[in-house]
Amino acid sequence: MANLTASQDKPQGTQVPKRFAIVLIVGLIALGVCVLVSLAFGSRAMGLKEVLDGLFRPEVDSYSASVVQKRIGRTVFSLLAGGALGVSGALMQAVTRNPIADPSILGVNTGATLFVVGGIAFLNIGSANEYIVLACIGAAITAIFVFGVGSLGRGGATPIKLVLAGAATSAALSSLISAIMIPRAQVMDQLRFWQVGSVGAATWDDIAVFSPFLIVGILIAFVTAPALNALALGDEAATGLGVRTGVLRLVASAAGVVLCGAVTALAGPIGFVGLLATHLVRLLIGPDQRYLIPMSALAGAVVLTVSDVIGRILGSPGELEVGIVTAFVGAPILILLAMRSKVRSL
Amino acid sequence: MKPTHQFLAEDTVAGYEHKTIIHGVSLSIPSNKISVIIGANACGKSTLLKTMARLIKPESGKITLDGKPIDKFAPKPLAKVLGLLPQSPIVPEGISVSDLIGRGRFPHQSWLGGWTKKDYEAVAEAMEIMKITELANRNIDELSGGQRQRVWIAMALAQQTDILFLDEPTTFLDITYQVEILDLLTDLNRKHGTTIVMVLHDINLSARYADYIFALREGKLLAEGEPSEVITSELIKDVFGLDSTVISDPVSGSPLIVPIGRHHVVK
Repeated sequence: MANLTASQDKPQGTQVPKRFAIVLIVGLIALGVCVLVSLAFGSRAMGLKEVLDGLFRPEVDSYSASVVQKRIGRTVFSLLAGGALGVSGALMQAVTRNPIADPSILGVNTGATLFVVGGIAFLNIGSANEYIVLACIGAAITAIFVFGVGSLGRGGATPIKLVLAGAATSAALSSLISAIMIPRAQVMDQLRFWQVGSVGAATWDDIAVFSPFLIVGILIAFVTAPALNALALGDEAATGLGVRTGVLRLVASAAGVVLCGAVTALAGPIGFVGLLATHLVRLLIGPDQRYLIPMSALAGAVVLTVSDVIGRILGSPGELEVGIVTAFVGAPILILLAMRSKVRSL
Repeated sequence: MKPTHQFLAEDTVAGYEHKTIIHGVSLSIPSNKISVIIGANACGKSTLLKTMARLIKPESGKITLDGKPIDKFAPKPLAKVLGLLPQSPIVPEGISVSDLIGRGRFPHQSWLGGWTKKDYEAVAEAMEIMKITELANRNIDELSGGQRQRVWIAMALAQQTDILFLDEPTTFLDITYQVEILDLLTDLNRKHGTTIVMVLHDINLSARYADYIFALREGKLLAEGEPSEVITSELIKDVFGLDSTVISDPVSGSPLIVPIGRHHVVK
């Protein structure tokens, strides 16, 4: 992290992004608010007092307490999953130098989904660990395939080509998923909810299994951030600065794939969170990865948790899966981004 | 002053996947001087520069720094000695001048160490040399082409290397900016002793600003030496296939090439 005292001596060399402190504080406040909101809303909405009583004085109102307790697991998981998706998006964008690289747009989510669905239908998998491993394999294979196809022809992996390759791959994989699911009515029931993306089903055990993947992925993201900053200047400039670009790309994309795969394994495919989070953050504090990556985690956590709450409110008395909500918010933003000419150069 | 280094290319053959472009070049970069590689389009100037700057792995032959092949160095320590400004680096969207220049400090930083006083000083000094201190907090997108190029060179300067490779640093710039950039690079060389190796398109500016010239044709080194020795109408004919008269530049005293075409020739 930047040395604040030195930056005061030499204001022209200051490295902490403008507005960073304000953005961080606002972000943390937003995080706190969305935690409270997530605990309060659902098929039974509660006031702030009930939430606080439920949290800290369960003896006062045991019914509220049990509802709030149930929502804690869901909230924690959506925060972690949102953070993971935010960082995964930031990593994929940095590695490809492509502002619309997001796990869902590249079809990586769908690849992870296909493998999990296949695993349930053919291999009888059941544990969270098996879900995660299969999802990561599916995500990795899809990522390699989409980048491969998107890089064909002149100009390498341009944003437009990547979107097309991702969309086509995603469509093909989705139909495969349907083909596996439709003849299997009993599997379908179990999967329907999962397949749209929902954070509601996660248990504390799931969170425990998920955490190591999250920690490893985020650690790699933090360690590679300075090198990713150099990579942003182009492969030649990065090599000149002493970056092994091949190794960096491999390690950082592996982390991005693991983060996305682990979330998809437990929650189903949730789109656009990485895209929304990173663009929001980049707009506010600029492109320095050392700040962009942690702030994308924060923004991703807020975006996913808020989307989950919106889904619970709109779908009341049942709920609308969070994957549907993020897609509704994310799709227009993607179109806006694709229309801007600047998208070509990150 | 920067220390002296011995930088050699020995019988270097290099190119891209299916096409060899450099056919056996041996040269020694004069330490603490400004060298310019000249040659016609597609003669391999940039390829040679990139090979020496370790962007391209040579097919055969050796590139050595102080006797050690450059691919035997770890990337970061090498990046403290050998800097490079590619022809068209990428500007991340929305990046500020100081952030971009600061990225030149990468090889000097460890992950946990973060930004030290030395890093801030290096960035401030680089901006001072390139005369862009007042632009520090501006967005790169708002700058003119000449200012942008000065920012990029400052990025390379913040790296504080002894040797600096530049691939056509004046391309796409107005003549005013071309002269300004070359003056600033000369300041850098004279004040700090930085060894500069660059590819330039303009032969007359090359003759004026270079201490040493490497003339390339079809991937082979045709001539080398001080401009006053090597720039002759015969060499220009050999390198560019162009008839010319070489006179003394009335401003600098360096050789000045006056091309002879089919029209506008006074009998």
